[in-house]
Amino acid sequence: MTNRMLIFVAKLKAFFAQSADDTAFSEEIEAHLQLLAEQYERQGLSSADARQAARRQFGSVTLLTQKRKEARTTMFFSNIARDLRYGVRQLMKTPVFTIVCVLTLALGVGANTAVFSVMHAVLAKMLPVHEASKVVYVHTSGFPDGAHNTGDEATSFSYAAYRELREHSGLEEVIGFIPMSSSGKAPVRVGTAPEEAAGDMVSGNYFTGLGVGVELGRGLIEKDEDDHTPNVVISEKFWSTHYARNPDAIGKTLFIKSHPFTIVGVAAKGFEGTEGRLPLDFWIPLQSDPEFNAWGNPAEDGTYLTIPQFWCMRLMARIPAGTSSEQALAKAQGIFQQAAYLGIAQKHAGEKIPQLSFHAAKQFDSEDDSFSRSLKTLMAMVGLVLLIAMCNVVMLLMARNANRQREFSIRLALGAGHKEIARQLLTESLLLVMLGGAAAWIFALAATRALGAWARIDSNLQPDSVVLWFTLSILLLLAIVFGLAPLRAAMSSGPDMALRSSATASQTTSQKVRAGNIIIVTQVAMCVVLLVGAALLLGTLRNLMNIPLGQKPDGVLVFGVHPRHVKSKEESIAFFVNLQQRLRSIPGVESVSFASNRPGSGWSGNNGGLLVDGHKPEGVEPEQAYYRQNNVGSDFFRTMGVPVVQGRDFSDADSSSATQVIIVNETFAKKYLGTLNAVGHTLTNTKGLHPRLIIGVVKDHKYTGITEEARPMRWVVFTQGDLENQLDVEMRVKGDPMEMLPTVRKFMQQIDPDMPLLEPMAQSEVFQQSISEQVMFARLAGCFGVLAVVLIATGLYGTLSYRVSKRSAEIGVRMALGAQRGQIVWMILRGSLLLTAMGVAVGIPFAMAASKGLKSSLYGVKPLDLTSYIFAIVGVAVVALTASGLPARRAGSVDPSIALRAD
Amino acid sequence: MPADKSEVLQGTLDLMILKTLHALGPLHGFGIARRIEQLSEDVLTLNEGTVYTSLLRLQQKGWIASEWGISENNRRARFYSITKRGLKQLAIETENWERISGVISRVLALEAKVSL
Repeated sequence: MTNRMLIFVAKLKAFFAQSADDTAFSEEIEAHLQLLAEQYERQGLSSADARQAARRQFGSVTLLTQKRKEARTTMFFSNIARDLRYGVRQLMKTPVFTIVCVLTLALGVGANTAVFSVMHAVLAKMLPVHEASKVVYVHTSGFPDGAHNTGDEATSFSYAAYRELREHSGLEEVIGFIPMSSSGKAPVRVGTAPEEAAGDMVSGNYFTGLGVGVELGRGLIEKDEDDHTPNVVISEKFWSTHYARNPDAIGKTLFIKSHPFTIVGVAAKGFEGTEGRLPLDFWIPLQSDPEFNAWGNPAEDGTYLTIPQFWCMRLMARIPAGTSSEQALAKAQGIFQQAAYLGIAQKHAGEKIPQLSFHAAKQFDSEDDSFSRSLKTLMAMVGLVLLIAMCNVVMLLMARNANRQREFSIRLALGAGHKEIARQLLTESLLLVMLGGAAAWIFALAATRALGAWARIDSNLQPDSVVLWFTLSILLLLAIVFGLAPLRAAMSSGPDMALRSSATASQTTSQKVRAGNIIIVTQVAMCVVLLVGAALLLGTLRNLMNIPLGQKPDGVLVFGVHPRHVKSKEESIAFFVNLQQRLRSIPGVESVSFASNRPGSGWSGNNGGLLVDGHKPEGVEPEQAYYRQNNVGSDFFRTMGVPVVQGRDFSDADSSSATQVIIVNETFAKKYLGTLNAVGHTLTNTKGLHPRLIIGVVKDHKYTGITEEARPMRWVVFTQGDLENQLDVEMRVKGDPMEMLPTVRKFMQQIDPDMPLLEPMAQSEVFQQSISEQVMFARLAGCFGVLAVVLIATGLYGTLSYRVSKRSAEIGVRMALGAQRGQIVWMILRGSLLLTAMGVAVGIPFAMAASKGLKSSLYGVKPLDLTSYIFAIVGVAVVALTASGLPARRAGSVDPSIALRAD
Repeated sequence: MPADKSEVLQGTLDLMILKTLHALGPLHGFGIARRIEQLSEDVLTLNEGTVYTSLLRLQQKGWIASEWGISENNRRARFYSITKRGLKQLAIETENWERISGVISRVLALEAKVSL
């Protein structure tokens, strides 16, 4: 059956293929025919007759060529088929070996593929835009004194600067985009149920300037920006999930923040916006409605269009053809530095002028250094794991093929060429690597998804063709290494080896043992490096997990609320005070409060400048008295579980008309008042205006995230602060907060069906997420450490058992001469302990160098943490002892009379 | 096709070519065909193309090698020569052939004793 198949394939190939051999052959035949014809001519035939006679005598040329082609291809294919069959048989004969090798490869290569594909996506992949090399993210070193921004200093520009750059900078395109809110999402409604979707408000040239096509309809155009049209382009994914890819979606209405927008297009598949880890669902043109102010900010004094000091717009640009990035930057710099001061009354003397810079249009804007550092460290770790895995498989192969030395000798004696044996070995290793590679790819797909989820990256990270090539080249390299490593051993056995058949004759040479030793020492050294790294990171994880938060986030539910049509401060206060009253009435709710910055989310208000009772605060210059601030609701500290050290919590009585009050933390009180007895003092701004009475001092607790250091903090009740058009509801409930969510959702829909709960979460989860990256990093490092240990253990075990089995004759002799069982066991153990000790000695300096590199990722652990090193050394020693224990015991139980008689 | 000519026995062509190359040294396909024609004294019919099938087979088995060269009348031609393994094979095949042909001639020489 297979033969018939092969012949069929060969015929097919022969039919189409034309090789150099064919040309040579037809030349050869032509010459033959010529000679034959000449001979006939000499015999008196006319030239035409002679030629015909020659053809007759020769037979069918076509048939001959055809046969020749077939012969050539069948030969090639049947050789391969024979090698493959033989290889499969060999692998099946040693199933444990095969499974161990394939699993080792799957883990080693799979982990590399997964980490590489995340790293590639985050650090190298370009945006799917036209001529991405010409497109750049525009960054600034800062913003002028007197302006304010949204918190992302490097990526925020004023609308005025955007207009100036766009019109005068000489850049081919300047593209602006603004997230809908600080979370990037906005309430939308397709049918009846409100939900959240991620979107940007973009300039009219967003699609044309980036060169992003559409699946359907059209992209946005200049007129959309100029007229602030209510048009929207949705992503291909949103189209699939919400409109089932129905072309009728064009022209349908999508409600965004309760405003009707008309869908005019679906963006090209694969384009998920320019916001890095947040894939976007929709794009609308820049809007002028105050409801659509940048980042969802309240528009009390105007919008981003009218306030030139409001730096909120993200920019990208396209460098004109034929201009270098540097030239374009130099030209734009001057325009920018003037435009930056539009709307600023006066440039301060000596202030740092903002500098523009361009950054490559990668999928992820180059802002998150710690993440990329973690990824690179992970890549180094999986690289080590792969090396260990590779050493393992090589050792296993060498051991196995040494057992086959007699087979090779016999084959050589029977006339196999060295080439045949090399081809056979390569085929076997290729088979092994293919099996391992297939398993690795499946493993990698799952691992990549898990990595993305842990890193909270929603955008597409799945392996692409670059990753596939990366993996294939690793596999090819492995196949060659695995094929060639045992080759020398196989070749060194001459045909005469077949004749010598005793165990002593096929004894491994000291040179081979030394090669094996070097591999083991290297492996142990790499294992030490990995274990030290893992121990340091796990120590960091333990420290992070045990940081006291200073509050009780368990049992607290948090969600954002963005009321519609709230124009004035009065309306906003009335809405939220009413909401608080109604939420309190839900059964099971213990207390309800608000926060304008969700604790643990990383967002914070940062201000500076104050006077205490009209004086300088404790020797600090009033302008330099920095603090973090949050606007919250009544009962805030009771709800969050923060102890009030002095005074009282905010209460419902602290209304907008009551005395302006404020609460500070211990650090604030100590630093700016010099005492914890701060209640009764008054804080004002540097001009002595807006007095606020301190009514309470609370214990220091975490605000932006778990790793935050204690710093001066103050809280103002939202009824006495600025207009808030969105607040997070903090709600302490009995039992699991997430179980309360459906009730709350129903309750809120009764208030307003168009108002979704924004990012509802358990408050404890918010804090957990603030360290999710570190946690992921540490857990992965731990996993790789364990993986390395397991690999080392199997490798060591395999090699040692093989050696013991090879030495059974020698051990038999020793025992016959009176060696004790304990001496034999110790002999084997000592060997492996020596190798381990050498490996540790080699590994420690590398581990020290590696931990220095890890320094920035550690929390509360020193790079030269002694415990971690001891842990790693003890770990390796235990593994080595365990792995060599079994073979040593087997050596001890060798029966001399049997061992000597064997073979 | 004249009736008194016999077909070349399957497999014997290989042996004839090997022997020819052994006896005469490197030859091109045309030369081999001529030589066999001469030796067979027109007893065998030979589609000269089959020589090339045979040559390919021998080459794949590694019994002969080939090399491009210039023929006696200054043409580019592929010259075939016997290899070491080919020599061994020739010895084996010759022995085989002699044994078999010996057997066959003995069989054919049997008198019809039974009918006596």
